[in-house]
Amino acid sequence: MKGSVINMRRSAACLGAALAAVTLTAGCGNNGVSTSSGGVVQLSMLTGFTGPDEPAYQALVAEFNKTHPDIHVTMTVEPWATVAQKLPASWATGAGPDLATPSSDPGSIFSYIKTNSVLPLDSAVGKIDAGAFPSAVRDAFTVDGKLYAVPANMATLALYYNKDMFTAAGISNPPATQDDFVADAKKLTVSSGGTVSQYGLSLADNQTIQMWPILQWMNGGDIVDGHGCAVVNSAASVSALTKWSQLVIQNHISPIGQSGADADTLFASRKAAMEINGPWAAAGYKSAGINLGIAEVPVGPAGPITLASTVPLMIERNTPHAAQAEQFLAWYTGKTAQAQFSQSSGFPPARTDLGDAVAANPTVALFAKALPYAKLYLAGQPQATSIDTDVYIPMIQQIERGANVKSAADSAAQKINQLTGCKS
Amino acid sequence: MATLNPSSRAAGGRRRWRFNTAYLFVAPSVVLIAVFIAEPIVQSGWMSLHNWTIGGSDNPFTGLANYRALWHDSRFWNALRVTVIYTGAVTVGQVGLGLAIASRLRRTTWFSSLLRTAYFFPFVASLVVVGIVWKFLLDPQVGLVDGWLGGLGFSAPQWLQSTSLALPTVIAVGIWKNVGFTMIVLLAGMQQVPADLYEAAMLDGAGPWRRFTAVTLPALRPALLFTTLIATITGLQLFDLVFAMTGGGPVFSTESIVMYLYEKGFVEFQMGYASAIAWVLFVVILAVSAVQLRVARNRDGD
Repeated sequence: MKGSVINMRRSAACLGAALAAVTLTAGCGNNGVSTSSGGVVQLSMLTGFTGPDEPAYQALVAEFNKTHPDIHVTMTVEPWATVAQKLPASWATGAGPDLATPSSDPGSIFSYIKTNSVLPLDSAVGKIDAGAFPSAVRDAFTVDGKLYAVPANMATLALYYNKDMFTAAGISNPPATQDDFVADAKKLTVSSGGTVSQYGLSLADNQTIQMWPILQWMNGGDIVDGHGCAVVNSAASVSALTKWSQLVIQNHISPIGQSGADADTLFASRKAAMEINGPWAAAGYKSAGINLGIAEVPVGPAGPITLASTVPLMIERNTPHAAQAEQFLAWYTGKTAQAQFSQSSGFPPARTDLGDAVAANPTVALFAKALPYAKLYLAGQPQATSIDTDVYIPMIQQIERGANVKSAADSAAQKINQLTGCKS
Repeated sequence: MATLNPSSRAAGGRRRWRFNTAYLFVAPSVVLIAVFIAEPIVQSGWMSLHNWTIGGSDNPFTGLANYRALWHDSRFWNALRVTVIYTGAVTVGQVGLGLAIASRLRRTTWFSSLLRTAYFFPFVASLVVVGIVWKFLLDPQVGLVDGWLGGLGFSAPQWLQSTSLALPTVIAVGIWKNVGFTMIVLLAGMQQVPADLYEAAMLDGAGPWRRFTAVTLPALRPALLFTTLIATITGLQLFDLVFAMTGGGPVFSTESIVMYLYEKGFVEFQMGYASAIAWVLFVVILAVSAVQLRVARNRDGD
């Protein structure tokens, strides 16, 4: 998977589940075929929200059931790896749940659209207020002019920092610009006799929410352009990758080869001063006793930018209760529900028109503030999974270990163009 | 049948078919094997000839295109190389070390029983658990191993983050995990060697090493064949340990064939391509097992 197993990336349980799923055949469908009994329409919904944010989703579903006596939604939670194993076969055979979040990776919707498993939501437009979704999300979920999914959640990444370490290093404010970011990362890296006892920044390159693309974007670089052509070897990209890989290799600002869980552990165990992470991480760091500060991602020459992350929520194409399922999605993404969800989960709302409702909570407001400029990783790219696992992650891992940045980026660009079919 | 019951054929000419209750007893196993093993094998062979996506509405037939793509796929060759190195190293290490430990612990005392249990213990745990625990222990930042090494003044190696160290580390854990199994099997074999053979060898003036090579090893041949074969086959199927410890990284340096198959089939949903990988692995395992059995049979003949 794209690795952004965001809501549960520290959960070792997903490993076991994935393995169990490998040994079983995929035909474990029958995961709640919808029924209607006593005039109440039963809808089943399969999601991967096994993390600490699960209660917030369950509360939302309970609220819907209370206010809609003729519909009853039952939300089942399984690790993302299990969902990814079950759903393709169960939806293809019509035995799957009415509603599901197929993956934490928004790019996953393409494989389901390709197999004709999802209901296009164009008939529900008007009921579902897609105009209020952040534009990056609306674009990612619209394929050939049709909306196929709504955001089950919405997140942006911010800069987490350890206030005590900043004070000890004599830095009073979190970095606001790319130059400050670099200077602070160096200053906060403490080593003696070749052994690093404290890292300036905790960067992860695999099984993680993406951090390296933000460093490229900040500098005006990117991975793939709107036409599916690689720009990972553009001058701005190469200069950003060179700068940060040198900081890692020569200044040891971050360990190399960390997974997302490793990077989180490093920050939580007070061995790193900064980390780029999403709203789901805040509670864990606070309970680990970190004197935690959260700030917007520093601004580089390309203007403010950060990563957006969203989980697609879709309806099975052959569900007998399409109208009720659409009604649920319309309510779920509506103002009341999103304001309530944002308050209980700490995530920003999946709408851009709730400014007042989220202002009360400064953490939520901070993540929400980034919504207008936050970008999805490999948005709208049907080959996103292959580009990520076959090309981008290995490239970052190579340059972190001293490979020539320009030639690594050139060869990555060539592979990306092969995958996307870009002719340039 | 015929060899078991030659008289009926001689006496009755064409024998009438009679229902044999034995068929009833084997039926459940045959049905289970047919449904859960034979049918999927055939099905995956069929899928490997298609551009097959899970749940795809049309899965076009592509003939041998998947196999041709595999031939030019450097990531596949890398995975094959990783798998062969792992299998070779773990098989040699596991059988060699298992043999050494078994001969040291041959005499049963309370202390050797304790050590046997200790060596066998890792085999009881699941590979995923072993992988996760070792991953924690070997973490360069918060792990116990590098913590101790740092305390002794050594620099902390990047066990699982370095492209050159990751595979040897996984191999070491693989040997540690399985050596207890080999030890127990070989120990059982050793204890069945008749004591009078050793007495005779001693009378002939054989020293401990000579007794080991001339009496113990030949007697252990079936047990050695069994442990080598099992170690080879499980080595070629390497997945759990890599999945839990490195995810195939860094930069594919520990990506085994089954790991690659999993990535293609269950992450990227290219079931046709993944099936082709599975078939190549199947043929490799079949060939290696056949060679090993043949070699062992030759040795029996001389």
